[in-house]
Amino acid sequence: MTRVALRGIRSHLGRFLLSVLAVLLGVAFVAGTFSLRSMMSSTFSDIVESSLTGDAYLRGSEVAAGAAPMGPGAEVAGDRNRIPLSLVQDVADVDGVETVIPDLTGPAVLVGADGTAVAGGGGAPSFAIGLHPDEPAAIVVQGRAPSGPTEIALESASLRASGLALGDTTTVVVAGALVEVEVVGEVAFGAPVAGATIVFLDVATATTAYAPDGRVATIAVYASEGLDETEVVERLTAALPGGSSVEAATGAALRAETQEQIQSALGFVSTFLLVFAGISLFVGAFIISNTFQMLVRQRQREFAMLRAIGASPRQVFTSILVQAGVVGVLGSVLGVGAGVGLVAALRVVFAQMGMELSGRIPLDGYTVLVSVVTGTVVSLVAAAVPSRRAALTPPVEAMRDDVVVHDRASTLRAALGGVLVAGGLAAVGMAVADRVDERGTVLGLGAAAVVLGVLLLAPTVVPAALGVLAAPAVALLRPLGGLARGNVTRNPKRTASTAGALMIGMALVGAASVLAASTEASTRSIVDEEATADYLLQSATGQVPGGLAQEVADLPGVQRADALHFSVVLVGEDQVLALGVDPAIFGTSLEINVVDGSLDRLAQGELAVQKAEAESRGWVVGDTVDLRGSEGRRTATIGVVVDSRALGVPLILPDEVFTAVVAAPDAAIDSVFVVAAPGTDLETLREDLTAAARPYVVVSVMDAEQFADRIADQVNQILVILYALLGLSIVIAVLGIVNTLALSIAERTREIGLLRAVGLGRTQLASVVTIESVLTAVFGTVLGVVVGAGLASTLPTVFADEGLSVLVVPWTQLGVFLGLAVLVGGVAAVWPAIRAARMDVLEAVSYE
Amino acid sequence: MPETAADPTAGPIASARDLVKIYGKGETAVRALDGISVDFGRGDLTAIMGPSGSGKSTLMHCMAGLDTPTSGTVVVDGDDVGRMKQSQLTRLRRTRLGFVFQAFNLIPTLTAEENITLPLDIARRPVDRDWFDTVVDAVGLRDRLDHRPSELSGGQQQRVACARALASRPAVVFADEPTGNLDSRSSGEVLGFLRRSVDELGQSVVMVTHDPTAASYAHRVLFLADGRLVAELADPTSESVLDALRDLGAGRAERDAPPVAVGRRVSR
Ligand SMILES: Nc1ncnc2c1ncn2[C@@H]1O[C@H](COP(=O)(O)OP(=O)(O)OP(=O)(O)O)[C@@H](O)[C@H]1O
Ligand SMILES: [Mg+2]
Repeated sequence: MTRVALRGIRSHLGRFLLSVLAVLLGVAFVAGTFSLRSMMSSTFSDIVESSLTGDAYLRGSEVAAGAAPMGPGAEVAGDRNRIPLSLVQDVADVDGVETVIPDLTGPAVLVGADGTAVAGGGGAPSFAIGLHPDEPAAIVVQGRAPSGPTEIALESASLRASGLALGDTTTVVVAGALVEVEVVGEVAFGAPVAGATIVFLDVATATTAYAPDGRVATIAVYASEGLDETEVVERLTAALPGGSSVEAATGAALRAETQEQIQSALGFVSTFLLVFAGISLFVGAFIISNTFQMLVRQRQREFAMLRAIGASPRQVFTSILVQAGVVGVLGSVLGVGAGVGLVAALRVVFAQMGMELSGRIPLDGYTVLVSVVTGTVVSLVAAAVPSRRAALTPPVEAMRDDVVVHDRASTLRAALGGVLVAGGLAAVGMAVADRVDERGTVLGLGAAAVVLGVLLLAPTVVPAALGVLAAPAVALLRPLGGLARGNVTRNPKRTASTAGALMIGMALVGAASVLAASTEASTRSIVDEEATADYLLQSATGQVPGGLAQEVADLPGVQRADALHFSVVLVGEDQVLALGVDPAIFGTSLEINVVDGSLDRLAQGELAVQKAEAESRGWVVGDTVDLRGSEGRRTATIGVVVDSRALGVPLILPDEVFTAVVAAPDAAIDSVFVVAAPGTDLETLREDLTAAARPYVVVSVMDAEQFADRIADQVNQILVILYALLGLSIVIAVLGIVNTLALSIAERTREIGLLRAVGLGRTQLASVVTIESVLTAVFGTVLGVVVGAGLASTLPTVFADEGLSVLVVPWTQLGVFLGLAVLVGGVAAVWPAIRAARMDVLEAVSYE
Repeated sequence: MPETAADPTAGPIASARDLVKIYGKGETAVRALDGISVDFGRGDLTAIMGPSGSGKSTLMHCMAGLDTPTSGTVVVDGDDVGRMKQSQLTRLRRTRLGFVFQAFNLIPTLTAEENITLPLDIARRPVDRDWFDTVVDAVGLRDRLDHRPSELSGGQQQRVACARALASRPAVVFADEPTGNLDSRSSGEVLGFLRRSVDELGQSVVMVTHDPTAASYAHRVLFLADGRLVAELADPTSESVLDALRDLGAGRAERDAPPVAVGRRVSR
């Protein structure tokens, strides 16, 4: 029987190649995701390995909080107290210690040759490092190390990206101040740095900038050759002054901790990508199962013959499964290759965007194993159902001349689908009506159930739905429309699964577009309601330089310039984002809703808490909160509970409290609100502000409208990435349509011959195939968009508290998707249509 | 070479000259048609008989432009089929030819009625309701028009196919064993209809059959053997056809082993 099975593959090679292609695509996506993920994490690991080369580190022993500004060094100690620089001297004399290098790192902006800020892709950080002469990770490859406040060196990739050359003068923004500097050297800094822009300063300059209070986050210790890291730590610990809130840790421990932090930060990205891989595999499974269903159907007679000459159902079943196994393994192996190719292409794209990822594409055994096993198992499972049916067909049945079997959608499947849709909708309804606690989770589960249910129900609705969709074609293109309708409705299950693949992608696209439009509209309405300042300054790097904030405050015509400082503080053991504001900001630059208490209390050193945070912690006005940060601790009373979306941060502290808790280097200025003095010409003020901000390159001056635009832009950027990923799953779906069409045409060969014999022209035949394809694509898209957009429409009700207050359904965009479906259908039909039209009439008629 | 008694006022509706069709090459080459010249009369019902493999289907395919002859010419309704391009052939099939195959004649997704009017729909020509009714009643399918092929018996399917071939009132209908799967009663109905369509409505029909009774409905019977026209019979009866077959069978038996099975009549 195995021989029969393998011979079967050989003689139906063309058809098998299509199913191999289906497996290949699904697996390529999975393998691509896995290897992209390991490439990203290995890129970051490389950075950690090459930037944390010390044998031991000194760091704060108290877990405090502080914003973790950018830079690999700073990540290490982001949530600990800072330690005094004087420790460098204390440990330098410890036996075996060769070099001691304090971490002098902080955010910086580099102005490139074109006058704009040098910025890597994907929001890669831009920071400066004090270049210690003994720093082992950094090697001056050209020119010399910087010395004095007016010289810098640049990391090799940053130098290339900036377009600057040695000897050029440019501007940098360091610690919020503008400095004219000369580029004097190029420094190689370990592994590829993933698009980060790195500026090297001399140690004294960096110390003034990033350790103005004489404290740093960590101090790296390099010991002499052959000394064990633990030994170094023991000696350091002995040398540390008592009661100083400092501890020593081994380099290995620190690297491991950092890796872990990076992994968990990347976890979101990984999950995101894995979800897409899952979706694509799910989509791929549809195609595979479709393909096998058709293959089995076509060869029904062959199986019946085998049964007639005495093969048992089990043998027939096995012989098909063997074929599925071969297809699965072959497709999976090729898919792994294709996935690697995909990642290689992506890497080129990332590199173009200024984000260099590690040089090798990691293809570990795990990735290969998971991909191949998934592909094979999915193939086997997908083939099992049709195989079973083939095996159980009575020999006579399949010996019939007319092989077209009408495939009725199974009642069980429809019932299950109905239950899932009903249950899902009920869950969604409960979440919308706020009858449940975990609204988000219930909504998610409900949505998943609806999608799954619709997939199951699809075959049942195919005849009716396609009858409606096809009506225009049937009426306008007689008899082609009718023929096409007949073809897509004759096997509802097949049409449904072909469309299902597209439906999933389109549902996500539809949901994303509703979400994006609603987010944008919500943001605009929030900005309109709350931000009453005339102008707003924000930086592309996320931090407005302190120097600029000062300058702006001193400009003529400026009544108020409120800098919003932000940082992470510790409440108990939890890290919470906090804003530091001048209490007078309320009523002048900002209008926010007070739920309870009074904003006046902020002036008395009390703090404001967002409604959601207060609810989740059970806080009420009058409670006290214990706050800790890199500067110290403070117990403050809650003076007011507010509901503000413009300040989307849980805690709002008066400046006085904020500075007592957060050390100055850890506080970043998120934005500066500017209110004009009465009688000032707003246009003139804007010009003045723009002139002040221009040298800082990264800062833009916006009015409320522009601010909203900018947020909308950010949303759109995320959307583009999302669309690109979904685009891939749609490509798979399109190939699925091609696959289904090609196979169903092969299956209908005699029928096509007959149609041609009674006078159907080639173009007409091609049109029939195209209409079929378009109908399938439109069906999938309509179903997907309706489900996706419909479900997403409930988000604003459920997540109103998170700032999603307005529902906008982007009808035009949804219309465009529908147009896209027609296009997709047309494109998918090209090859199958040509194949059908090329068939020889007589050969087709007498086709077995 | 038998001479055709064609209507002198109109000339033949279809004719072949020195038609040769060779399948394959070299050793395995098969001369399915070996120099056939024949005229099919306008307004005639012509039957073609002959043993299995004698080239009947091949002749029909070549006449209908479904297959290209190796050499020789085919003229249908005054036009040289051999000179036609694909698109012209398509148009010819659509409007001036009707074809009934041995089996699998219908589109499974269309109802009987839609199958019958399919060539007209393809050609975007209006359906002549009177003619349609005549045809449908003649094949006795009035109550089956809404059924799909899978809901029809083999004989019913074949009758739908005949009705389809006639629906567009083509110049000539080529039918390859149209009654091969029918019982004698429905086969009689179909053949009676074909004959009436010729006698009363001026259609021209060429059909292949193995059944002497079916052949007796024809104006003329042509006998094929080994790709050659070997005999002809005008105004046949079942008996004269049987006699002719017996004569031919005897002549053939000397060269070939088993005698030709005369009837492949299928009765249920
Ligand atoms: N596509 C083909 N390739 C090769 N040989 C063919 C092909 N079609 C027909 N033949 C051969 O041509 C000869 C005539 O075949 P044809 O189908 O015309 O016979 P027929 O008279 O219609 O027979 P039957 O009564 O069984 O239908 C046969 O010997 C057949 O084997
Ligand atoms: Mg034949």
